[in-house]
Amino acid sequence: MGNIFPRWTNLLAIKVLVCLGALGTCAIAVAWYSWTPKYTRVGYMPQQPIPFDHSLHAGQLGMDCRYCHSQVENSPHSNIPAAQVCWNCHGPGKVKSDSPKLEPLRQAMDTNYEKYTGQPIEWVQLHKVPDYAHFSHQAHVNRGVSCVECHGRIDEMPVVYHAKPLSMSWCLDCHRDPGKVLRPLDQITNLKWGADDLDPESFYAYVAGKTKVSVEDLKKSDQGKAWDRELIGAHLQKAWSVHPPQDCAACHY
Amino acid sequence: MRWFFLILAIASITVALAIGPRGEKFSTPPFMLFPDMDNQYKVKAQKPSEFFENGQGARVPVEGTVPFGYAPPKEGVSAAGPLDFSRGDDYLNTGLFGDFYGKGFPGEIKLDETLLARGKERFRISCSPCHGMSGNGAGIVSKYWAIPPTANLVDPRVKSMPEGQIFWTITHGKGLMGPYNGVLSVKDRWAIVAYLRGLQAASGN
Ligand code: HEC
Ligand code: HEC
Ligand code: HEC
Ligand code: HEC
Ligand code: HEC
Ligand code: HEC
Repeated sequence: MGNIFPRWTNLLAIKVLVCLGALGTCAIAVAWYSWTPKYTRVGYMPQQPIPFDHSLHAGQLGMDCRYCHSQVENSPHSNIPAAQVCWNCHGPGKVKSDSPKLEPLRQAMDTNYEKYTGQPIEWVQLHKVPDYAHFSHQAHVNRGVSCVECHGRIDEMPVVYHAKPLSMSWCLDCHRDPGKVLRPLDQITNLKWGADDLDPESFYAYVAGKTKVSVEDLKKSDQGKAWDRELIGAHLQKAWSVHPPQDCAACHY
Repeated sequence: MRWFFLILAIASITVALAIGPRGEKFSTPPFMLFPDMDNQYKVKAQKPSEFFENGQGARVPVEGTVPFGYAPPKEGVSAAGPLDFSRGDDYLNTGLFGDFYGKGFPGEIKLDETLLARGKERFRISCSPCHGMSGNGAGIVSKYWAIPPTANLVDPRVKSMPEGQIFWTITHGKGLMGPYNGVLSVKDRWAIVAYLRGLQAASGN
């Protein structure tokens, strides 16, 4: 019998396997990199009906988030402010009341305006967890988790964009180890807060009052440790006994 | 095989360039891999709804009904609008006794340290942009108004106002100041009044 298969076919199977392997690796690499919320959501920056600038209002003017997002502490949903809230400052005779950028606001609020509709301003929603998962703002902001952990430095954003992935693994990463992020409750909306802004003496006194451990003992156990967010968070976690849930039914119900 | 890898390399680079790094800004809604059940057909807070005629998910209560926890208006009290039942008509909710501003705090409000701390926090959130941290009317926004008319809350005029009138002002606004009943609960409004009394006492005017 002669050779039915020429010589070059000897390695064919291996070559095909190698090629398929390389192709598969590339395909998986692409999927791994881009089929995740870290890629699909982070950076989402839709055009809003009014070019509202957080870096001006929350940053430069120093307004507190809760002036506008007023229900964030007592409801699962953090509200987008009603047009009336903008009207407090941008109404007739006030700040930039005839700015062309505020056209939709006048349509919603100014009854003397010829294009008045009275319809709410249709802001585009960026952050959204799927409807099968339940998220609550009040459960977080009243337990020492700041807006910045989940929304980034909003007070530096001229246009809001999606800064964190909001995926399930992201929720759980924090739920497994919340100590790193906790901060005193009066600093929740102060996005640039850092460990240096907290006075160690009054902090130890506060923790001692909560945990019934004396200030001296607390300080002794912290000797040699750096004064940073991790240390503060660890104390607060113990003082408030923070235990974020990890069971499926906490979020999926 | 050489050709294959050459093509693969070119394809990879093209795909990599097309994808770009994570975190780039874009304005089209995010791509959803498995959109099943992500958007369920139900009414959600502050969202539109196709189900209702006016397209709004938020509903106005049916005529003749009262939301849980609210009182219907008493006989003879003129309702300012269809939703007026949501505010009671007693001193706590209006700051008025009949047609007059009331003096002092209503019995339901306990004047203590927690109330003052709450009032301080809320004052700084809701009032300080215009009236300033100390209430002197020199908040940051007053620098941007063409004619700065923001009232000085620690001068003798406001100091001599009855508590009920300040409460009423926060609730309904006055002149160029808008109403704050939508963002501040009744209790928070009284807490602000209490804190403001403290600021006025501290100012020495
Ligand atoms: C002057 C009112 C105002 C203040 C103060 C304010 N916001 Fe906003 N915020 C808005 C409005 C209006 C929108 C909707 C338009 C937009 O997305 O830009 C918004 C949108 C957002 C969104 C995106 C919502 C979405 O669709 O997912 C986040 C997150 C947010 N704000 C966080 C904050 C934080 C954190 C602060 C405090 C540092 C803050 N805001 C202060 C008015 C305000
Ligand atoms: C506490 C007062 C205050 C509130 C409330 C407020 N703004 Fe402003 N806004 C300002 C000030 C002050 C400026 C800066 C004006 C300037 O630069 O001269 C400004 C500027 C703006 C501008 C830029 C206008 C221009 O022509 O450059 C826009 C747009 C705007 N605001 C939108 C909004 C919207 C939308 C809301 C409601 C969510 C809102 N603002 C609520 C105080 C306020
Ligand atoms: C633990 C994480 C977390 C913290 C802390 C947090 N948020 Fe959010 N925020 C979210 C998530 C998740 C969503 C999407 C919610 C949804 O889909 O219902 C969201 C949505 C929002 C929205 C848009 C709501 C809408 O439906 O348009 C605003 C506005 C907002 N957050 C403001 C704030 C402010 C202000 C703070 C701080 C006081 C804050 N958030 C703190 C996670 C967080
Ligand atoms: C930065 C940290 C952090 C992130 C991110 C975070 N959480 Fe939490 N979560 C907490 C903390 C802290 C608590 C409070 C636990 C406690 O009260 O003991 C909590 C509590 C909860 C609770 C329990 C609420 C209750 O009523 O007891 C739920 C549900 C929850 N989180 C859902 C989520 C979901 C869904 C996400 C993602 C979209 C998320 N969390 C992201 C820190 C976080
Ligand atoms: C801290 C809150 C939280 C807990 C606890 C949690 N999940 Fe989730 N889960 C989420 C969120 C938020 C999403 C949506 C993620 C997204 O949109 O990227 C999700 C998505 C999912 C999905 C859909 C994934 C997809 O893309 O289709 C499944 C399945 C799921 N979770 C199963 C579980 C199971 C099983 C458990 C228990 C082991 C669990 N989850 C616990 C918050 C949670
Ligand atoms: C958007 C800016 C702004 C904010 C925020 C604001 N005010 Fe005012 N307020 C004004 C202006 C302007 C006046 C002067 C009104 C006039 O006389 O036309 C005023 C007047 C007043 C007066 C005096 C009323 C009178 O009869 O002379 C009181 C009391 C008052 N404000 C209390 C408050 C309290 C309490 C808050 C916080 C809940 C608050 N204001 C928030 C702008 C503001």
